[in-house]
Amino acid sequence: MIACSELTKRFGSTTAVDRLQLAVGPGLVYGFLGPNGAGKTTTIRMLLGLIGPTSGQIELLGARLPDPRATARTGSMIEEPAFYPWLTGRENLQVLAETGGCRADGPEVARVLGLSGLSGAAAKKVRTYSQGMRQRLGIAAAMLGRPPLLIVDEPTNGLDPSGIRDIRELLRGLAADGTTVFLSSHLLAEVEQVCDRVAVIVRGRLIEEGPPATLGVISRRVVVRVDPADAGAAARLLARWPSTKAADTGAEFVVEHGSGRDVNAALVAGGVIAESVIAEQPGLEDRFLELTQHAAAAQEEDEDDVVDAG
Amino acid sequence: MMSLMRAEFRKLSRPLVWGSALTVTCFCVLITWGAANNARGGLTSPRILDVCEQTSTAQCRHVIAAAHATARAAAAATTALAQPGEIGHVAAGMLASLPGLALIALVAGGHWGGEWGLRTIRQLLSRQGRRGMVLAAKWLTIWSAGVATMLACWAVLALAGPLIAAVAGLPSTHAGLLAGLASSAAAIGRAVAVLGLFSAVGTAAGAIGRGQLATTALTAAVFLLALLLAGIATIGKVSPASYVQAWMGFAGNGYLPTNFWSRFGGSGQHLGQLAGLAGMGITAAVAGLAARWRFAADVTV
Repeated sequence: MIACSELTKRFGSTTAVDRLQLAVGPGLVYGFLGPNGAGKTTTIRMLLGLIGPTSGQIELLGARLPDPRATARTGSMIEEPAFYPWLTGRENLQVLAETGGCRADGPEVARVLGLSGLSGAAAKKVRTYSQGMRQRLGIAAAMLGRPPLLIVDEPTNGLDPSGIRDIRELLRGLAADGTTVFLSSHLLAEVEQVCDRVAVIVRGRLIEEGPPATLGVISRRVVVRVDPADAGAAARLLARWPSTKAADTGAEFVVEHGSGRDVNAALVAGGVIAESVIAEQPGLEDRFLELTQHAAAAQEEDEDDVVDAG
Repeated sequence: MMSLMRAEFRKLSRPLVWGSALTVTCFCVLITWGAANNARGGLTSPRILDVCEQTSTAQCRHVIAAAHATARAAAAATTALAQPGEIGHVAAGMLASLPGLALIALVAGGHWGGEWGLRTIRQLLSRQGRRGMVLAAKWLTIWSAGVATMLACWAVLALAGPLIAAVAGLPSTHAGLLAGLASSAAAIGRAVAVLGLFSAVGTAAGAIGRGQLATTALTAAVFLLALLLAGIATIGKVSPASYVQAWMGFAGNGYLPTNFWSRFGGSGQHLGQLAGLAGMGITAAVAGLAARWRFAADVTV
C-alpha cells in the first residue's frame, strides 16, 4: 500500500527525511513513531503529495507519486484537522467529498458521521465544535468514500478517554475490514495497543521497524536490590552481563537479561542473597526512549566523525 | 471538474462574500443617489459666474440661460441613466472599476487566500492533487462571485434607479423604461471580461501570498499600482489599468456614476478597444503563469 525507497527531503541545509525505506502491507495498522522534529509530518506530507521529495520514490496504492489519483483515493487527517468554520459539519463533509470527486450523497456522509459519533452535531456550524468534535470530524472526513488506505496523524488529540477508546476500536475495525491504516503518533500506549507494526524514525532516519512487542534492543530486564554491604560483591557477580547498570544508591542494579532466575542463581552461587529480584518487561515507551536516545547519540557521533575527517 | 466546482460554490456561500456583495451593491445605489442629488442641485442652483449673479446684461442673461440648459441636460441624462434599461451601465462601470476590484480582492482573499490561513489547503490538495484544476476552479468561482454581484447590482438599480430619479425630482424621461438595454448589456459583457482579469490577478495573488490578508492586499496593490502607472505619460499605455479603460471605453473625464477608474489615469483613451482586450488577455495569462509557478511549490502550512 505504501512503499518508500531512499526517500529524502531537504529544506535548505536541513535534512528532514533521510533515505527513508518503508513498506506498509495491506490490512495493517502501521504505527509511525518518532520524537518531535523527527520527520514524521514531512513524510506524511510527501505521501499525500503536498510536498515533493528531494530524491527517492514513493509508491502509493500501486502508483508511483506524483499521482493525483492515488492521493485522492487515500483518506487522510494531517495534524489538527482544519475545516470551514462557517459551514456545518455535514456541509464540510459534502465539500470534501465533492473536492475529491467522490459521492457526497446523504447515505455516505451519514455513514461516516455515524461512525465518528457526530450524527447529533452534524447540523451545527463547525465554529461551535470543541477540539474533540473537530478531531472526530477529521476522522469522518478521512473515511469518506471508503478509501483503501487511511493516513492519520495524532487521531486522538483532544479526545476524552471514551473518545480515544472509540477511535482505537474504529481504527482496528477498519483494519479488520481490509483498510490499511498508517498512524503517526507519539502516544506510545496508543501505538502499542492499536498497531500491528511500528516504524521508529529519528532525525529523518528509520532506526527500527517491526511488531511493537519485539521492537528495540532490549526485550527484558531484571532489577536487583541487595543489602548495601553486599553491593561490591553483587557488582562483581553481575559484571558477567556487560550492560548491567548500578543505580545511584549503589545497592540496586538493572541487568539486561531475559531471566530473573539466571541472575538470582548467579548471585546465590557467589554467596549474595538479594533483597529482591524483579524481572520486568519494558513497555514500548521505555524501548522507544532507549532507541531514540541511542540513535540520536549515534548520529551525533557520525556527524562528529565527518567533521573530524573533514 | 463539476464536482470540484460544486464544492467551491458551497464554500463561496459565506458571510464575507455576501457582505462584500451587499456593500458593493449598496455603494452602486448610493452613487446613483448622489448623482441624482447632484443633478437636482444643478437644476435649483445652476453654476453661474459670480459676475452675472447681480447683473442682467445681455451677455449675462445668455450665460444664465446656458447654465440652466446645461443643468437641465445633465438632469435629463441622469434621469435617462437611472432607467432600468440604461442603468446597467452603472452596474458595469462600478464592477469594472475600483468597487469591483475591492470586491474581487476581498473574495479572493477569503475564498482562496483563506484556504492557507485556515490550513484547509492541506485537505483540498490531498483530495484534489491536480493543482491546475484547483487554480481554475478558484478563478472561476471568484469570477462568478463578481459577475453575480454585478447582475444583482443591475437588478437592484433597475428597481431603485427610477425611484431615486423621481424622489430627487428630476424631470421625467421620454425614453422607455427599457431604452438603452442593448448598450447596457454590451457594457455588462465587457465588464464580465474585466472581472475575469481581476479574478485572474486575485487567483495569482492567492497562490503567491498564501494568506487571506496577503491575497487581498496583493490583488488591490497590483491594480492600484497599475492605475498609478497609467497616469505616467511615457509608460501609461502598457499599464493594465489603461487596458481596462480602453476596453470599457471609460471617458477620460471620469463621469462618476459610470466608473470609478478613469479619473485616476488617462492613458487608456489613446488605446483602441481591441488593444485593451489584448492587453487584458496578456495580463491574465501572465497572472496565470505566475499562479501555476508559485502553486507548484511545497505546501507546508
